[in-house]
Amino acid sequence: MNGVAGILKLHDLDLMMSEIRNAASLARLRKLGFEVRDPKLLERARARLVAELDRRWLHHYERALKRYGRGLAAVRGRVCQGCHIQLPTSASPGAEESLTLCESCGRILYWR
Amino acid sequence: MAMAIGDSVLDSSLYIPELRPKRKESILEELVSRAHALGAVRAPILLRETLLLREKLGSTAVGKGVAIPNARSVAVIAPRLAVARSRRGIDWDAPDELPVHLVLLVLSPGEVSEEVHGEFVSRVAALMRLQRNRQRLTEAAGFDSVAALLREVGA
Repeated sequence: MNGVAGILKLHDLDLMMSEIRNAASLARLRKLGFEVRDPKLLERARARLVAELDRRWLHHYERALKRYGRGLAAVRGRVCQGCHIQLPTSASPGAEESLTLCESCGRILYWR
Repeated sequence: MAMAIGDSVLDSSLYIPELRPKRKESILEELVSRAHALGAVRAPILLRETLLLREKLGSTAVGKGVAIPNARSVAVIAPRLAVARSRRGIDWDAPDELPVHLVLLVLSPGEVSEEVHGEFVSRVAALMRLQRNRQRLTEAAGFDSVAALLREVGA
């Protein structure tokens, strides 16, 4: 798995974990009829994924996650969707599979 | 901001009147592939993996022949609702063990809050709770009828 795919997967997994950990969200899901078997399944999946990721990018991701609740932000119209700051013209997505950081908030940027 | 079930989330290419795949994994792949072709999804492989992980956590079949797979994912560009039917029925590990005849895939971009995505899913689930709505969706002649029903009751 390349760095981009791994970080994106981690982000989606964390969104799901956040929903399950939120007592109100979990109660709503169950009330609607959704089954939520074992939240530990997500924790195990996360541990396996984290073990495969590049340490440096994982560090950036975890730091932003701890600070903002999100470790990654999409870019739309050159604006970081995490902090809503216009990215400088020097900022670019780089090579196809490379990651970049928002210089303003430190979240990992997802350009595509 | 609540997510209404209106034209912005519906598209005729995301309506499958009769599903050919028999397994939920293949059905999710088909729906994700259509959303990708429409430009609503940028990373179809990731989205499929996220949806399958959600299914592992617990079936998204909510009983009475309805499944509402859903994801809030960075792979999604714009909120979408895909609707698919199966006369034969699909094994979706439903709590009432009934086969699923209606699949409503709810997609939200990763940027939206838990509350907004939850409200979107809740609206779809509330809609499907009523037998008359399930019947209208099952008997709808085409996408226009499906969209009219969803607009009428889901706004």
